[in-house]
Amino acid sequence: MRSREYRIRALFVRLQEKNAAVSEVPSDISRAFLGGRGIGSWLMSACPGLNPLDEQAPLIFSTGPLTGSRIPSSDRMVISAFSPLTNTVCSASVGGGLGLALKRAGIDLVHISGRSEEPVLLVIDGGQVSFERYDLPPDTPVSGIFDRLRRMKGSAAVAGRAAFEGCRYASVMVDGTFASGRGGLGLVMASKNLRAVVVRGKGGFESCDPAGEENARRDIIRLFDASPAITGRSGIKHYGTSTLVDLMASRRMMPTANFRRTYFEDYRSFCAARIRERTHPKHYACPGCPIACKQKGLSEIPEFETLSHFGALNENADLGAIIEANRLCNEAGMDTITAASTIACLAEIRNERYAGEALVEKVREIAYGHGDGPLLRLGSAGLANKLGEPDRSMSVKSLEIPAYDPRGAYGMALAYCTSTRGACHLRAYPISHEILRKPVATDRFSFSGKARIIKISEDLNAVIDSIGACKFAFFGASLEEYAKGLSAVTGLDCDTQDLLAAGDAIYTLERHINNLRGFDRKDDMLPSRFFTEPGTHGPGIEIPPIDRGAFEETLDRYYRIRGCKPDGTLTGERIGELNICRSR
Amino acid sequence: MQKQIDKYLAKLEKQGLIEGEHGASLFGLDDEIYTNAGTVPDEIRTLFSLLNINSLIVARPEPLLWSIITRLASEDEIIRPCDCESLTFFHDVPVVQSLQAGPVARALNRRKGCIVKDTGIVTFGTVNLEQAFITMSSICFASFVKFFSDALNGLHGCGCTPKPDPLRIDAVLELIGQAAPMPSRSIPAVHELKDEAQIIRAMDEAGKALVGSRLVDSFFGNISYRQGDIIYISQTGSSLDELPGCIDRVPLDGSSTCEITSSSELLAHVKTYELTADNAILHGHPRFSVIMSMFGGELPFGEKRFVEDIPVVSGEVGAGRHGLSHTLPPAVKEHGGAIVSGHGTFTSGAVSFSDAFDRLSEIEHRCYLAYRELLRKGGAG
Repeated sequence: MRSREYRIRALFVRLQEKNAAVSEVPSDISRAFLGGRGIGSWLMSACPGLNPLDEQAPLIFSTGPLTGSRIPSSDRMVISAFSPLTNTVCSASVGGGLGLALKRAGIDLVHISGRSEEPVLLVIDGGQVSFERYDLPPDTPVSGIFDRLRRMKGSAAVAGRAAFEGCRYASVMVDGTFASGRGGLGLVMASKNLRAVVVRGKGGFESCDPAGEENARRDIIRLFDASPAITGRSGIKHYGTSTLVDLMASRRMMPTANFRRTYFEDYRSFCAARIRERTHPKHYACPGCPIACKQKGLSEIPEFETLSHFGALNENADLGAIIEANRLCNEAGMDTITAASTIACLAEIRNERYAGEALVEKVREIAYGHGDGPLLRLGSAGLANKLGEPDRSMSVKSLEIPAYDPRGAYGMALAYCTSTRGACHLRAYPISHEILRKPVATDRFSFSGKARIIKISEDLNAVIDSIGACKFAFFGASLEEYAKGLSAVTGLDCDTQDLLAAGDAIYTLERHINNLRGFDRKDDMLPSRFFTEPGTHGPGIEIPPIDRGAFEETLDRYYRIRGCKPDGTLTGERIGELNICRSR
Repeated sequence: MQKQIDKYLAKLEKQGLIEGEHGASLFGLDDEIYTNAGTVPDEIRTLFSLLNINSLIVARPEPLLWSIITRLASEDEIIRPCDCESLTFFHDVPVVQSLQAGPVARALNRRKGCIVKDTGIVTFGTVNLEQAFITMSSICFASFVKFFSDALNGLHGCGCTPKPDPLRIDAVLELIGQAAPMPSRSIPAVHELKDEAQIIRAMDEAGKALVGSRLVDSFFGNISYRQGDIIYISQTGSSLDELPGCIDRVPLDGSSTCEITSSSELLAHVKTYELTADNAILHGHPRFSVIMSMFGGELPFGEKRFVEDIPVVSGEVGAGRHGLSHTLPPAVKEHGGAIVSGHGTFTSGAVSFSDAFDRLSEIEHRCYLAYRELLRKGGAG
């Protein structure tokens, strides 16, 4: 990438000593790792062997170079740490106003290490950093914490009671309802005795080329308008991600009864039209986003994955119970996908079913730590191991599989396994082409060509997470338009292939860190159920078990393309190319 | 991978974009490179090493198209399309001198395809060969439309198009005879489509007829049929000659959101059905209909003009504030069909696709004749 100076401005905070200092990341590293997830992973590569809950393990809040610009849907930020649930490198993109506030405070990134002796509030106010005493009771619900913080007139990230009570999938909640959900990053925050981060900033955003920025903005908006998945009558602009419920059911890939089936007869009880009819939700957006996919009725309307997993995965047709389970998770600060999947796992092991009020009660047990709560707080892999039934955990690298059954989309099956944070649908997001037909359709029941498609998609999504953009924007626009925007905003002379090369470096570095933490081929594997049990067939649709031989062959191909040996670890040559030592 | 190569090579031929199977080399990369070219040239290997892609097409378009493209490429280093779909999805097309990996890679770093003066067109995909095929077809379409459209608008002093130099006019006169639309064919009229199976068969037949008559670009357009409260509509990005399995069943009242995979023009179809008693809608991108829809310069949103008695309306792709779903349906209601400026033609029919197809084809032939007449009136030919 050719550029004028581009340096990430980082605030390094040491909680033990309660001090903070600003320094700039060298320009070659800033350009190579962009920001957001990329720079977070680079910083973690400096300490690849640390336990996630070690005092010195970093917790990183990082914005992207587009955060704060006029480029649509790009005000997101990323929180990174080693995951206490999976032990992998982990980062989660999150909406809300925290990224924008950091930019306005003149900061691109906050790197937090150490542990405070007492519960503490980190306040970043423009150029000033302070550590304030946190005096709320430890069991205060997330909404109560935000009520208190609202007086400080900033944007905030908090860890809830689940985090402080050791839940391995505790999330970091931003501005009330935006969750950095997966992997237990809230538990990392709690391990530092850091209750909240509050950021205030009044600075402006200067673009290097406002006219170029405006051109890119217009191109992107035109593509949003042309995308049925975004602005179409059933697009996420109108229904949020709940619009996917009908589609996943019709494609017979809605995980049901802990993935024992792939179709839930009562899916209409929580489909988008039913939600609209029952809750009359209003839409709201992250700053700078014209899509506005978030929905709220009396309570927050759950995202698709939450609807499907608290619904079909637990054989629960009670929409009220789903909404209440989601509310309880948000109030305690924990990941809904893992919570729902862990309950479904327990239900299968006990040959029971937790639906309606029984489901809500199980979530309450996790939140308050009574009944099965301590067991359920381990996540499904921990729980299934403890109960001697490890095969009942529907997870990869201990991260629970989201609401797209891998038997219904083979690219998704591969991507769950090669994802650097465990079973995650967002690392490569093949649903985009296997189901939503964007940018073009691919055969969802074929592995042909999927190894390279997934590799390129992983690189692409690493870029999206690193520049501050939202994945939904890419249902319409492409990296071509965002590269133009990035060049205009930052003065970096970059194009699509420059960015994909950065994405490749980011993803490969994450894989290398995981290798150093002991992960290899044996961990890049789906639960055996998906190779032995069929899903639920439908009209004209057969959902057979995945052919294990074809899967392994595709994984071999993926390794060759990514620069790995057959055991899934990087080749020496590839490690050399990464030039990790110099980068540090 | 080899199947994909065979499929898209056949499509390039069927679409009339290349002359014979040697007109294009297709390359697909998974963990090794697959091709129809026998061997993989070094330049191609280098291109794959420079670009994070998985497919590549290098094609010399058929003589008429190549003649148009080389003329456009001789005038500028970038070809700026004037039709709205190319502008929305492709922005512009860079031109490079020769098939050397470095310069071609630099062009493809920025855009989805480029013109190589001594070779043809080079396009790529990051998901599959279909992307490279679409870009190839779109560059041909955009070049054809720009070549004839700029000449006519310039000749008549429309908009800000500069007056074409005499050489361009000579070229237009030389090529216009070869550029005529294919002779009309028709699809059988039926009086009733009774069930889903019949509807899908009829849609399949209409789609194949549109492609066979070259009334669509890249095999894309969209087709729908209304039966009671249900619309059957082609999915977004579906190839009109491969429709079975790619048709969504959409309740008119929006009670299912499965339509999220439907054509981006679903809303325009829905609103047309709401306004008319018709049951069949076709949408294609016939070249001279698009060219004539742009004659007279940019059409402001909400305004209408005519090519003879054929209405031309403005509107962008999709459901945005300036989307064609606001302007098209009333025009179709009044005239049984309309051209969206710079985009394509929509026609409707009462029972089957026969009337809509005939109307779409008729509009294209009339636009071609109107173009020739305007050339003459402008003092050319």
